[in-house]
Amino acid sequence: MHQTIFHGPPENGLFVAPLDEFTAVYHRASGITHLLTEPAPQILAMLGKGALSLDALLDRLARDYDLTDGTREALAARLDELIESGLIESGLIESEPVERT
Amino acid sequence: MKGLSANRGIMDDTRPNQYPVNPALAASADGDASVPTRRRVLALGAVTAGAVMSIRPALAQTAGSVLNCEIPVPDASRAGSYIDADGKVVPARTKGAFPSSPRPFKGEEVKRAMANGSTLPGTDSARSRAYVKYIRRLQRGQGGFTCFASLQMPRG
Repeated sequence: MHQTIFHGPPENGLFVAPLDEFTAVYHRASGITHLLTEPAPQILAMLGKGALSLDALLDRLARDYDLTDGTREALAARLDELIESGLIESGLIESEPVERT
Repeated sequence: MKGLSANRGIMDDTRPNQYPVNPALAASADGDASVPTRRRVLALGAVTAGAVMSIRPALAQTAGSVLNCEIPVPDASRAGSYIDADGKVVPARTKGAFPSSPRPFKGEEVKRAMANGSTLPGTDSARSRAYVKYIRRLQRGQGGFTCFASLQMPRG
């Protein structure tokens, strides 16, 4: 049984500067700067702590925030944008991801 | 700003409707049951223009970043797998395939190997060819793709 998981760069792989409505993120590995709006910075922060499946990520976000449009589809769309930018990566694993508490 | 909910955190009373101190990197203590969880409204959908906008560096800066970005072979999600002669990721210890690289390659090293056929550092020619084929097959979402893609960008 394979499952897609998502993970972000380690904390020292990014330089983050909140700029009013935006959060500027410099990705050291690619040398590219990204301007993020919510909820991208929050997703990136979660995935920087460890790889998570879509459902696990949704659970974590729901634990920390009052979500609106808190659907798998909405989150998947945001993840696609982050993958497109190169800020997060996806991969397949064979078992459930390890829950970190 | 969307989130105007009460997030006057115990230690962060500066700008209540702003992000917490450093939103993307703040080490969260939310897992600790004794700390009240910060409740902010977060909208996952309804983003009209997309939540991510990437700013490509100017060409001069690109040259510098290309030298230093890194491409793992294979990427972290498949660490430990082998690379066959066609650049495909295969299970560890597959006969005729090569073990993963013990360290990621710098963009500069990959660019040189692609440009003039020299071998990647620490590899012989067959292994280097397999690794380069792997790198050419990288897709969006795989580790090292952005670095590889930036190697393709025109240089000033």
